Amino acid sequence: MGVSDLVEDVWRGIEAAALPAPVIRLGVTGLSRAGKTVFITNLVANLLARGRMPQLTAQGRIEAVYLQPQPDMTLPRFAFEDHLAAMTGDDPRWPQSTRAVSELRLSFRVRGRGFLGGFLAGLSGPRLLHVDIVDYPGEWLLDLALLDKGYEDWAEGVLSRIAKRPEARDFMALARAEDGALRLEEPKAAALAASFTGYLDAARAGGWADCTPGRFLLPGDLAGSPVLTFAPLPKPASTPRGCLWLELQTRFNAYKAQVVRPFFRDHFAKIDRQVVLVDVLGAIHQGPRAVEDLRRVMAEVLSAFRPGRSGWLDRLMGGHKVGRILFAATKADHLHHRQHPALTAITEALLRDAKARADFAGAQTMALALASLRCTVETEVSRGGETLDAVRGRLADGRQVAMYAGELPGDPARILAPAREGAERWLGADFALMAFAPARMTRKPGEGPPHIRLDRAAEFLIGDRL
Amino acid sequence: MTEFDDKLKAPLLVEMDGEVEPGTFEDVATGRAMAGVRRLAARRASAFGRFAAWVFGSLVSLVITVAAWNFVAGLFAANPWLGGVASILLALAAGIVLVLVVGELTAFARLARLDSIRVQAVHAADLGDLAAARAVLVRLEALYLKREPMAWARARLAERQGEVLDADALLRLAEVELILPLDDLARAEVEAAARQVATVTALIPLALADVATALVANLRMIRRVAQIYGGRAGSLGSWRLLRRVFLSLVATGAVALTDDLLGSFAGGGILSRLSRRFGEGVVNGALTARVGVAAMEICRPLPFVAVAKPGVSATVSRALAGLFGTRDAG
Repeated sequence: MGVSDLVEDVWRGIEAAALPAPVIRLGVTGLSRAGKTVFITNLVANLLARGRMPQLTAQGRIEAVYLQPQPDMTLPRFAFEDHLAAMTGDDPRWPQSTRAVSELRLSFRVRGRGFLGGFLAGLSGPRLLHVDIVDYPGEWLLDLALLDKGYEDWAEGVLSRIAKRPEARDFMALARAEDGALRLEEPKAAALAASFTGYLDAARAGGWADCTPGRFLLPGDLAGSPVLTFAPLPKPASTPRGCLWLELQTRFNAYKAQVVRPFFRDHFAKIDRQVVLVDVLGAIHQGPRAVEDLRRVMAEVLSAFRPGRSGWLDRLMGGHKVGRILFAATKADHLHHRQHPALTAITEALLRDAKARADFAGAQTMALALASLRCTVETEVSRGGETLDAVRGRLADGRQVAMYAGELPGDPARILAPAREGAERWLGADFALMAFAPARMTRKPGEGPPHIRLDRAAEFLIGDRL
Repeated sequence: MTEFDDKLKAPLLVEMDGEVEPGTFEDVATGRAMAGVRRLAARRASAFGRFAAWVFGSLVSLVITVAAWNFVAGLFAANPWLGGVASILLALAAGIVLVLVVGELTAFARLARLDSIRVQAVHAADLGDLAAARAVLVRLEALYLKREPMAWARARLAERQGEVLDADALLRLAEVELILPLDDLARAEVEAAARQVATVTALIPLALADVATALVANLRMIRRVAQIYGGRAGSLGSWRLLRRVFLSLVATGAVALTDDLLGSFAGGGILSRLSRRFGEGVVNGALTARVGVAAMEICRPLPFVAVAKPGVSATVSRALAGLFGTRDAG
C-alpha cells in the first residue's frame, strides 16, 4: 500500500466518520437525442437492481441503494419511474424527449473496505454516498459554447456556416436585407428572431448539431422575452447609439449572463464526474458533414468544463474539478460486438481535443462504446455466400429485422479526414442504420434492463468512490 | 549485347495487384513472436543432454528387458510350470506399469490443459478477443463439468455470459463466478498445511522430523491444490509440480520476501525471543504458505486478475490463529 493510498484511505475514513456523506455530482452531457434520458434511467435501474452489473466491482459491498428526494428544492424530480415504464412496458418505446431540467439523487450504503475502512466501519457503520444526476434538454448544452464568445464573433461564425444551408435560405434573405445601423424597431427584431428560430427548427430536423442558442428551440417560460428576441446580423460599417445591431448585441450578452451562465453555474460548474454521450453512429449515418459538425460542436461545448484531478485538500476547500470523464458512443447495440473497438476508436478520435486537454490536466478519461438499453441480439446473416455479423431487433413499426449496418473502418482517419475536408458522402463505403425500438423483455428478480457496458461505465464513473 | 545493356538501363515499371500498407509486417512479426513464446513455453534441455538421457534410458530398459527375458527363459528351461507362473506375473507387472504410466500421462495432460487454458486466457485478454475468451469459458466449463457443487456457479455464468461483450470482462466474470469458490478451498488447504508444518516444527522434538513433515505436507498440499483447480496430479506429477513451484519461487522469491513475507519473518523473529521453536514454527509455516500461494498461481486455470492474490501474511495469520494466538469465539 503506497502512501497516497494510505492518505486516500485515511481521508475516506474521516469523510465517513466525521463529515456529512460525500456527494458525487455526475454530469451527463450530450446533445439532444444522444440518449441522456435513457442512459440515466437505465443506469439508475441497474444500480437499484444490480444483477446485470458484473463489471461493477463494488457490487458485493453495496448493501442498499435508495432513490432519495433530491436536494435542490426548486427542480422537478427526474421522472425515473415513468421513463422506465415506457422502456420496459408491454409496448416498449423510447421516453419522450426532455423539455426541462430535472434532478435525481441516488444514495448508496456501502460496507467499508481496506485496512482503515474496515476499522472505521466498526465505529460508524457502513458509509453513505450520494450520487446526484441532472437531466436537461440537450439543446441547452450547446449554449455553453457561447460563454466565451462575443456577439460579433458568434454572428459572423453562424452566418458564414449557415449561408449555404438550404434550411437557412429564408433567414439569410431577411438578414441580408436588414441594415444593422438603423434604429431598433421591436417588430423587426421579433421577425428576425422568429425567422431564425424557424431556421433552427429546420436545421435540427435536418440533423445539424450546431443549433445555438438552444433556448430558441425550447424556450420554456422565456418565450417572447427580449433575451430570446435576437438573431445574428453582420456588423454594419457604423454603429450609432441605439441601432439595431447594438441592441441585438445587448440582448445576446443578456442571454449569456442571465440564461446560460446560471444554467452552467447551477448544473455543471460543480460536477465531479462527467459522461459525454455522443451519437457517433447517427452522425456517420448522416454523412461526413454531420460528423464534422458534431466534432466541432462537442469540442466547443467541452471547452467550458474544467477537468483535472482534485485532491483531498481541494475537496475539503469545496473546489470542484471534473476528475473523470467518460466519452461514450451510444447505441452500440446497433453494431455487432466485433465492430465495437472501431466505434470506440472513432469516438476517441472525434473527441480527441477534449480528451487530450483532460488527460493533460490530470483527469482520467476513457472512451467506450455502450448501449444504455440493449434492444438487439447478435446474429449472423448470409449474403451471397458471405456470412455477415448482424444484429436483430424490433423496429418502431413492430417488424423484426436483422441489420448489418456496414463495416466501420478500423482506422478513424477514414471517417474523420473526409469529414474535415467537407466531403459530401463517404467514399467507397456504405453505412446505413435503422433505429431499433426497445425489445419486449422479461426480467428476473434482481435484474435491471439489459445494456451493453453500462456496468463498465458505472465502474469508471463512481466505482472508485464506492 | 547492346540489347541487354538497354534493358539494364531502361526504367522499369511493373504493375502489381493489390495495395501495400507501410508500417505493417504481419507475417514476419507474428512468426517471430510465436517462436519466442514457444521457446519460452518449452524450455528443453540441450541436445547433448537429451542424447545422453536417451542413451541411458535405452540402456537401462535393454538391461531390464534382457534380464527379465533370461529369467523367464531360464525358468522355462528348468521347469515349464514355474516358467509359466513367472511369465504371467511378468505380464501382470507390465500391465500395472502400463496403467501407472497412463495415469501419470493423463495427469500431465490435465495439468498441461490448465496451463494452456491460462495461456489462452492471457492472450484473449491482451488482444481483447471476445471469441477467444468465449473459447476459454467453454474449456473451463468442460473442465468443471463433472463437479456437482459447481453446477450453480456454471448456471449463473451461462446466464450472464451473453451480456458481457468485452474479453477481459468476460474472463473476470468467469474468475469471480467459477474460480473464486475454488480459491477458498485451495486457501483452506494451504492454511491446513501451514498449520501442520508450524505445529510439528514447534512441538515435536525430533531432529529431521520437521524436515520430513514439511516435505510430506508440502507435497500433499500441492497435490490437493492441483486437484481443486482441476488438475489430477499423480505421484510423479506432484514432484514435477513441486519443481515448478520452487522454480517460480526462485524467480520471484527475492521480491516476495521484501514485500510480503517480511512481516511473518519479523513476527517469527520476535516470537523466537520467547521460544526458539515457536519462532521457527512461524517461519516454516510462512514458507509453506508461500509455497502454497505459488502452487495456486501455477495450478489456477485463470491468472489472478479480478481477485487479489492471497497474501502470505494474511494466510499465515489465519492459519496460525488459534494455534499460537487467540481466536475469537466461534
